[in-house]
Amino acid sequence: MDSDERYRRLFRTALTIRLVEERIIELYPSDRIQSPVHLSIGQEAVAVGVCDALNVDDLVFATYRSHGFYIAKGGSLPKMFAELYGRVGGVSKGKAGSMHLSAPEVGLMGSSAVVASSIPHAVGAALSFKRRGSSRVAVAVFGDGATEEGVYHESLNFAALMKVPVLFLCEDNGLAVHSFKNARQSYNLLEHAKTFGIEARRLDEGWDMLAIRQATLDALSVVRAGRPFVLEIATGRYKEHVGVGDDFHFGYRNATDIDAWKARDPLLLDEKLVAELKPEIDREIAAAAEFAETSPFPGRDELLTDII
Amino acid sequence: MNVSSKERPSTQTRVLSYAGALLETMDSALADHPNVFIMGQGVDDFKGIFGSTTGLAQKYGAQRVFDVPLMEEGMTGVAIGAALVGDYPITTHIRADFSFLAMNQIVNLASKYRYMFGGIMSCPMLIRLVVGRSWGQGAQHSQSPQATFAHYPGLTVVMPSTSQAIVDMYPQIIVRHPGPVVSIEHRLLYNLDFSVSAGTPAKPIPLTSYVAREGRDVTVVATSVMVLEALRAAQYVAEKAGIEVEVIDLNSISHPDWELVIGSIRKTGRLVIADTSWLEYGVAGEVCRQVMMRDPAMLRQAPAMLGMAAAPCPTAKSLEDIYYPSQHETVEAILTQVCGSRHGIELPVERSMTEGYKRFRGPF
Ligand SMILES: Cc1ncc(C[n+]2csc(CCOP(=O)(O)OP(=O)(O)O)c2C)c(N)n1
Ligand SMILES: [Mg+2]
Repeated sequence: MDSDERYRRLFRTALTIRLVEERIIELYPSDRIQSPVHLSIGQEAVAVGVCDALNVDDLVFATYRSHGFYIAKGGSLPKMFAELYGRVGGVSKGKAGSMHLSAPEVGLMGSSAVVASSIPHAVGAALSFKRRGSSRVAVAVFGDGATEEGVYHESLNFAALMKVPVLFLCEDNGLAVHSFKNARQSYNLLEHAKTFGIEARRLDEGWDMLAIRQATLDALSVVRAGRPFVLEIATGRYKEHVGVGDDFHFGYRNATDIDAWKARDPLLLDEKLVAELKPEIDREIAAAAEFAETSPFPGRDELLTDII
Repeated sequence: MNVSSKERPSTQTRVLSYAGALLETMDSALADHPNVFIMGQGVDDFKGIFGSTTGLAQKYGAQRVFDVPLMEEGMTGVAIGAALVGDYPITTHIRADFSFLAMNQIVNLASKYRYMFGGIMSCPMLIRLVVGRSWGQGAQHSQSPQATFAHYPGLTVVMPSTSQAIVDMYPQIIVRHPGPVVSIEHRLLYNLDFSVSAGTPAKPIPLTSYVAREGRDVTVVATSVMVLEALRAAQYVAEKAGIEVEVIDLNSISHPDWELVIGSIRKTGRLVIADTSWLEYGVAGEVCRQVMMRDPAMLRQAPAMLGMAAAPCPTAKSLEDIYYPSQHETVEAILTQVCGSRHGIELPVERSMTEGYKRFRGPF
């Protein structure tokens, strides 16, 4: 494939994520979305680069910060907006909201809002793939903070022991809510993974979609051969941890922390491509929001369905 | 001990231990469903979860039956992930207490997966927990968490009290039940022999409550090993005093047959609740809630309740013996309900319940 064409494809997906989230920021004061939102603005390249390297039937298990992965994996925008709006037309009939997005038809499994809790799910799916001799892989997506949880360590150990095709993907934005990594971690993630015999790599260029895509493809060649892999990608969270605002005025971090990321951000730099692609994406977003607006609220009949 | 249910048709029967019933159902689940696998600490060792998985790893291979590291939460998460892509995992905990390390996955994930995602995904699986009792199990090897798990919508919680219950229920659960099931097995039952129907019973034990013994004078609603205690007590008071006890095996803790339970209480007007756990915020409270919501007047007097003393479990035998309700106390509760506290009827001499379960000797 023409590399320009690939760049445009990745760029378009990343721009879609950014514009969707900017639309969410605009809509938020209207209270149409009555659900906490964890925005991935600044981190789009990770979801886009990784998902582009995957096949549709490869599975991703992600977190509350999953708008990016939902879109990059190919989830439907109207169903996403309807889900955020708490409507029956949403992915999960309005029962999931922003924090539990999923799109199993394109391989995004249930996102969990309990930090680290979906990591072993990816390992379990990978175990099943292996038992069936399938070439599919599973990806566990988690933040840097999640690696502090016990189940991360249990999952690495088990995946290495059972040699299952799982990619552990750490989105390292350096923050867990308002707490910096050096205040939380006494280990080096890559060295730590290596003690389990797991190959690990860090990519510092978390703004570079093509580099992320390539790093993922390289990692997947190991994973598809039946060996887990830890891929850590540095990235920058522009917005507050949860909610639609900026958080520099709280004083716990400086806007300059993020300036370095912005200076490299293709969605900010490539104004020409943005101008070219934006109108069509805006129309898609408008249509999605319109669908959500007209979709009914779930009624009492939904309250007690799908429990068992 | 032979406590067979009166309801069971006395056609063809065979003798099968509780562990034997578990082994049979695990074996046939693996044979019948290629997507079933069993994982847990020690499932493939020579003890095979007290005989309930012995030899299965050899028979079906390490891909189907395998040991796991010490990773209760991780294992349960792995099971969820496998279930999501169509496998049917069976996980084990040699003591129910250890499942508390998997609480996050069971309560926050498995129980909610179907609902939280609007019914588009589900994670059917069987989680087997073993409740320990006697021989100094102590505070952390003896807990019976049926109320804990049944509290959470989305979980199906059963407590099979006999080999028949296992043989009848597990095939209804494994692969067939749409969601995660927590089965709470009791260690004291493992080595007991039960008579079970030789073929398919006319009325298999359902995934809900059933009448274990019919009677007209007093209703005993019991769980797990307390069903056996209730049946023993029923036999005793029938012989000594001609009192007919109706014993209901609650069997499903999350989805009891309340119509059946309430129908029986209406009939007898007297209620004893016998549970394997603490009474506080537990099964006893729930049974009473069901009565209260319908018609408190169905009870002729305040109900009696038997459960563990409101303390962590002590190890000393002298304390353990009074920590759990004895046969003596069970009989006393029944007689008091029917004849008042001055019933004057001789009580059984045996004071330690575990003496009736002699075949179980420690360490585990
Ligand atoms: C088990 C658990 N503990 C705490 C929280 C509260 N919490 C939500 S997000 C978060 C930070 C997680 O940081 P990280 O894993 O780096 O992900 P990020 O938010 O940076 O993407 C915390 C502590 C939670 N949701 N779950
Ligand atoms: Mg982080």
